[in-house]
Amino acid sequence: MQAIKAENLSKSFRVKRKEKGMRGSIRAILHPQTEEIKAVDGVSFTVEEGEILAFIGPNGAGKSTTIKMLTGILYPDGGKVEVLGIDPVKKRKQLAYHIGTVFGQKEQLWTHLTPYDNFQFFSAIYDIPDREARKRILELADCFELGAFINTPVRNLSLGQRIRCEIVASLIHKPRVLFLDEPTIGLDPVVKETIRSLIRQMNEEMHTTIFLTSHDVGDIEKLCKRVVIVNAGKIVLDEPMEHLRNADLAGIPLENIIMEIYKSEEGRAGL
Amino acid sequence: MSMEADRTRADLMFAAVKNQLRVSLLSVKYNMMREMVNKVTFVTNIIFMMLNNATILVQWIILFHLREEVGGYTLKEIMLLWGMTAASYGLSHILFARVFFLPELVISGKLDAYLVQPKSVLLGIMTSATDISAIGDFLYGLLVIGIFGHQGRGLYLFPLFLITGTVIFTAFALLMGSLSFWFVRMDMLGRQMMLGMVSFATYPDGIFKGVSRFLLYFIIPVGMAVYHPVHLMIRFDKGMLFTVLGYALLLGTVSVAVFYRGLRRYASSSLMEARM
Amino acid sequence: MRKYAVIYRSVCMENLQYAANIVMGFASYFVFIFIFIMLWNYIYQMPGEVIAGYTKEQMIWYVMMTEMIWFASNSASVAGSVTTDIRGGNIAYLMNKPYHYTLYILTKYTGEWSIRLPMYALLAAAAGIGMVGAVPGFPISRLPLMILCVILGITVNAVFLICIGLLSFWIEDATPFRWLYDKLILVVGTIFPIEIFPEALQPFFKLTPIYTVCYGPAKLIVDFSDSKCVEILLAQVLYLAAGCGLMFYTYRKGVRKLYVNGG
Repeated sequence: MQAIKAENLSKSFRVKRKEKGMRGSIRAILHPQTEEIKAVDGVSFTVEEGEILAFIGPNGAGKSTTIKMLTGILYPDGGKVEVLGIDPVKKRKQLAYHIGTVFGQKEQLWTHLTPYDNFQFFSAIYDIPDREARKRILELADCFELGAFINTPVRNLSLGQRIRCEIVASLIHKPRVLFLDEPTIGLDPVVKETIRSLIRQMNEEMHTTIFLTSHDVGDIEKLCKRVVIVNAGKIVLDEPMEHLRNADLAGIPLENIIMEIYKSEEGRAGL
Repeated sequence: MSMEADRTRADLMFAAVKNQLRVSLLSVKYNMMREMVNKVTFVTNIIFMMLNNATILVQWIILFHLREEVGGYTLKEIMLLWGMTAASYGLSHILFARVFFLPELVISGKLDAYLVQPKSVLLGIMTSATDISAIGDFLYGLLVIGIFGHQGRGLYLFPLFLITGTVIFTAFALLMGSLSFWFVRMDMLGRQMMLGMVSFATYPDGIFKGVSRFLLYFIIPVGMAVYHPVHLMIRFDKGMLFTVLGYALLLGTVSVAVFYRGLRRYASSSLMEARM
Repeated sequence: MRKYAVIYRSVCMENLQYAANIVMGFASYFVFIFIFIMLWNYIYQMPGEVIAGYTKEQMIWYVMMTEMIWFASNSASVAGSVTTDIRGGNIAYLMNKPYHYTLYILTKYTGEWSIRLPMYALLAAAAGIGMVGAVPGFPISRLPLMILCVILGITVNAVFLICIGLLSFWIEDATPFRWLYDKLILVVGTIFPIEIFPEALQPFFKLTPIYTVCYGPAKLIVDFSDSKCVEILLAQVLYLAAGCGLMFYTYRKGVRKLYVNGG
């Protein structure tokens, strides 16, 4: 079954412009100027259930915008989306019970509370009865090795511990699809590796579909079976990881291939 | 449709409401816990806000020194005005503080976190923060009503008007804040209107005449949140009571409807640059 | 000195972008003024009545001027930015810049109000003339002195607010102290002239910053006299000197505490 289906998805933004200097400031008040940017421009792809997909691209390529459309935060201007057969635009709340989200740069946790309190809060959000929630929290805490700090306020945790808690919080309700937006940003190599193996483990044991954005080649290489690269709102590459690995064997490091694709307007240059 | 199906639907609705309530109450509780992390700040904020409110007494002592009554009010009624305003403004800011910052959230795209949760977006946002100094306002309001409320049916009616007042303050802020879904510069105007509402609420309505009186009862809803309740506490009138109740209900409904209308625009709009 | 001029200019530019917001702020000003016009209309019952030495027109102009200073100075922003810098730890970076932190804040703040004040002044003058008529016997030739007095008043206020903000070196949140200071200025100096209070209290008020921040400038505008002007300007200069002394002293103490405790 297909977990995610996007067909010809588009979204544009209007951005304000200001010229420099005092004169520019005054002019911006009198005649505000805007220009339209196509953040996502006719994107189509599907993700199979149980797949781990890397969705990558340079900054401003439209990755986050796409995730937002898949989770129902933003409505597309054009095209169609289905996640687990549910239209996020029409049934956002219903979909929310089945998906989880982790935004590496935005915190969803209450920082002054302990992870345990946080997990209880998220359990309440997903209507999980107390007893069941307790069991689930212990299970996840065990799996993610949170035992040592589950009763320490989140603000006193290290970044790596925090992100582990973020991921656990998004798993409380056993989502079938997990969206991870740059989950390893700012982490040291050891912690990155832990997070990756946990993600892989989750995917294998619970058959969770994972939609991952990242700038880290390691994340992509070690986790994903398929890579989609977007640039300027368009998909420029959609290949199984193996194909890229083959190129890697031919002597070009994966990092260079990706860099080439980022730089070239048309994409597909290196392959 | 069979009765059975009706019953399960009612059960489901009941369960949904119960779950929502559980989340919102947990939210409020966690907010309080957050603020209590630093106990000294917590207590000083509350006490200083109470003192802050009490300083205004000086103004009224001076004014009643010049005239025996101002706009038909003596010091006792002025205190009722203050009590009513401080208590409902306070309660609204304790429970729903974030609604007063809705424009900032909209403009900077911070509603996203609430949109991925399977619960009411509006309640999620509103209950996501609290304002400690509002506890000072609330307590000051209770104190003042406790001292000066013993006239007419004051003490019986106060709890009811505390609720309508809180609804009106919150709903008005929600309505003003929701306008920022359409107009970027709405944050300031909304804030101004709220400030205006509080300023008017602490002066006797008797000094306002003509158009301004009309504005105070219908545009900036001070009349319904504070003036009418105070009149009713002094002298009961059934018609006036129903006007207040009806108005609170109407404003509440309209503001929620406008918010959800705006939320649709938030999700489909293309004007927010910070949201990429 | 030049670096402060550059800071000043860039803040002005930044604030011009918010011109529309300032215009929105007028709404609040109008609400206040409106309430007070209504209030004084109610309290002055006979035409030509004089309360505490003020006619109704003078009383209304007095409130309009003090509220103009109040709104243009927007005290929350100056004390607030000091508190945020200290609590947020930003101070560690600002401290080592080649300028004095307190003067940097003062300059930044001056940039803010120098956009707001002229706008509020125009508005207040137009509203005043429209609603109660010009101040009787207003000496146009003394206008520059009055403006100087207003500017000094706002600056004295800012210096005291920075001192309050600097309290954040010792306590978690200095905001409650600002509320009380603000309320004091508001109740004692802004909504009523000092003369309305019992005579026994008046000398005491003259010793507080209230006298130089709002009362002084507004009094000069509604009822100018050369002797009063000299007296107020002198008081302002003294207060500014004392306030700056206090500000530098508090800052130095605070920074030392920061070094000892490492924030």
